[in-house]
Amino acid sequence: MYLAVVIAELALVAILLVRLGRGPTVSDRIVALNTMATQTALATLFFAAYADRTVDLDVAIWLASFSYLGAIIWSRYLERGLL
Amino acid sequence: MTGFWALDYLCLAAILASGFLVVRMRNLNAAVMALSGVGTVLSLTFLVLGAPDDAHSEVVVGAIALPTLYLIAIAKARTNVSAEDELGESSDRRHPG
Amino acid sequence: MIEGLVIGLVALGFLFSLSGAVGIVRMPDVYCRIQCSSKSVTMGAIPTLVALVIAEGPVSTYGSRALVVAGLLVILSPTASHALARAAYKAGVPMWAGAMRDEPHDQTSTKEAG
Repeated sequence: MYLAVVIAELALVAILLVRLGRGPTVSDRIVALNTMATQTALATLFFAAYADRTVDLDVAIWLASFSYLGAIIWSRYLERGLL
Repeated sequence: MTGFWALDYLCLAAILASGFLVVRMRNLNAAVMALSGVGTVLSLTFLVLGAPDDAHSEVVVGAIALPTLYLIAIAKARTNVSAEDELGESSDRRHPG
Repeated sequence: MIEGLVIGLVALGFLFSLSGAVGIVRMPDVYCRIQCSSKSVTMGAIPTLVALVIAEGPVSTYGSRALVVAGLLVILSPTASHALARAAYKAGVPMWAGAMRDEPHDQTSTKEAG
């Protein structure tokens, strides 16, 4: 059952890649990228439970917290420039 | 072990699609964003292949630090672009300087 | 019993995540897409993580990491959505042509008029 969840999240990532490729403005792509990172964090957690490797769990925490940092960096770049 | 192979090929397909977007995208910001997507899915591939340490560094470097570096480089190089339509989308117009 | 609960929660989460992803692809402008994204995190990711917690037990290794990730997502995802919407509005990303109200613009224009 864990494997089915991982495959389902990867299918969602594939759907979101459409918006990442098509999105007319930068903000659309940031939204798609942020959601992609969240789904990948879920997939990582469920893959760790499927493969029974506890080392893999920390990558999910990194992904969940660093996607936030990426969204903040991109929105700062949109708002007033990065430098 | 079949599940591992299925996940491996699915992740590789997602990386291939995202890398195709990196190469084909006309807009620089969009290409950098697709590169960040490559890093995100590549970390999952490293996990499937059994390399958690590479996955850690790939999340930090490939998904966040490398796109930010490219973004800073693009923002620095923006001032030398001569043709305005090479800048891409209209929301990029607030570049510094 | 527990198996059925886990499968139900996972199905609920996947349904909301799928609707969020389809909404991100199909919605007409940035602000609607931001709303879809935040909904797919709140109602899609959290039930899936709760299902993992229930399946593995809250004090096990997987369950505790799932709780940490759920807490991070609950705190960070609305913040990121808010910052993104604010940045998009300040950068002048146009709204959908059928949008009815532009409330920050209305407030500033009435302030200038009064």
